[in-house]
Amino acid sequence: MSPEISSQSLWFLIIFVVIPLSVSYFYQLGLSRNVIVASLRGTVQLFAIGYILTYLFDLNAYIGIPLMVTVMLVVASFHARKKGKELPHVLPVIFGGLVLVEVSVLAMWLLFGMVEFIPSEVIPMSGMVIGNSMVAMGLALERMKSEFSENRGRLFAALSLGAEPKQASTLIVRRTLNAALIPNVDRIKTIGLVQLPGMMTGLILGGVEPIMAIKYQLVISLSIFSSVSLSAMFVTLIMYRHFFTENKQLLESEEAMLAYASNQEK
Amino acid sequence: MIEFRNVSHGPLRDISFTLQKQERAILFGPSGTGKSTLLFLFNRLKDPEEGEIFYNGKPLTDVPIIELRQKFGLLLQSPNLFPGTVLDNLKYGPSLTNSWRPGREKELLEYVQLSPEMKDRDVDHLSGGQQQRVSLARTLANEPEVLLLDEPTSALDDKTGEDIETVLKELIEQQGLTMVMVTHQMAQARRLGTNGLFMNEGTIEEHGKIPEMLEQPQSRALKEYLQG
Ligand SMILES: Nc1ncnc2c1ncn2[C@@H]1O[C@H](COP(=O)(O)OP(=O)(O)OP(=O)(O)O)[C@@H](O)[C@H]1O
Ligand SMILES: [Mg+2]
Repeated sequence: MSPEISSQSLWFLIIFVVIPLSVSYFYQLGLSRNVIVASLRGTVQLFAIGYILTYLFDLNAYIGIPLMVTVMLVVASFHARKKGKELPHVLPVIFGGLVLVEVSVLAMWLLFGMVEFIPSEVIPMSGMVIGNSMVAMGLALERMKSEFSENRGRLFAALSLGAEPKQASTLIVRRTLNAALIPNVDRIKTIGLVQLPGMMTGLILGGVEPIMAIKYQLVISLSIFSSVSLSAMFVTLIMYRHFFTENKQLLESEEAMLAYASNQEK
Repeated sequence: MIEFRNVSHGPLRDISFTLQKQERAILFGPSGTGKSTLLFLFNRLKDPEEGEIFYNGKPLTDVPIIELRQKFGLLLQSPNLFPGTVLDNLKYGPSLTNSWRPGREKELLEYVQLSPEMKDRDVDHLSGGQQQRVSLARTLANEPEVLLLDEPTSALDDKTGEDIETVLKELIEQQGLTMVMVTHQMAQARRLGTNGLFMNEGTIEEHGKIPEMLEQPQSRALKEYLQG
């Protein structure tokens, strides 16, 4: 059974938009314009990507896959960079990390025959891997910045005792990784209990046998699990050294920047 | 032994002075005048924006930086202990060069008037004064030649503070160390200092012998500071 949603029935989705609209109207939230624009924009974006995907899925795998994966990698890199714009070389580091993660995961999938090298399988699965890795890298960067600013005194103490920047940052690196990985572990723990994962839901609704859907879900969940860990580790272990000068001093401009940022928050 | 020549950095403006080996210099002056910042320049946590610092006649930058920081032990104004036990903190410096000798914690804790049983205590459960003392012991563990102490006894009662002063004085005399200490307590300055550096608004306003400079202050700023 593969249920079809008819185009006419889609029109009734307007009801779902009318509800927030009327809430906004009655409570004078001034959101009406936003609600309409967001709904229209979302609809257009989804249909557009639908047509693009249809087109891509029909393309030769050796053209379609590299094309779309590159686009995803570039967009994700620019997005994750926002979390650490002040840091030097952050864009190439993120991009490099995402490429590394995507290539290793893809290699695993293909090597063990978990996924076929066709656009309709590789593109959505890569999207999930890259998207989650992007979020993890952003989290790691943010966390690292706040750890560096909170632990400035301890860093000065460690350096004063003769620690190399690497040794002085051990605690920070450990805390950053911990923070970046905990949500990841929690997600795996509750998987299927709280929320059926999106992909599995989609496959089941699309008429795929639940067991088959679960196999796919397992592949993607564990792939995300490991790529998130890998990307957080990658960005943390490479970026921490950029908080120091070559004279093993905490970066002056960085310091000023962090002090400024923490003042802004107060 | 250590010479600052026209050094400026942040709040510090055109600082020049010379410290002799085995001198015990007291660095004092109003809050916010740049005393802590000045100490950061000795072990190169910061480098001067202008001017130069010399160590035994050679630029400070000629000394390999890790070696310099081990030789110049800096005690920061706040304890900044690392998470873990007292022993973890005491071992930190020596462990970096694999030179920690088991059992040394007894001697170190004794220097700062703490009992040997304290070694296994979690630093989060220590009082402010105890933390300050662990921090001092952690600095002493590296056996530095130059002690840079930023208000080492500010969180302690008079008795404990004076006991630690006695220990410091002994250590310094026995081992021929050099010391720069920041303090706001003039009685402590008299007991411990051989020389004084009075700082005001980022400059060294007066530099002289102790107790002479405390008894016959030359500048108006120092007179006012000593009265207030
Ligand atoms: N690089 C810098 N640029 C500008 N200002 C700075 C810089 N470094 C430190 N300051 C400022 O200089 C001032 C002096 O700081 P410092 O901690 O050295 O004073 P202090 O004499 O030790 O005071 P206290 O007796 O209260 O400990 C502070 O307001 C600090 O924010
Ligand atoms: Mg100070």
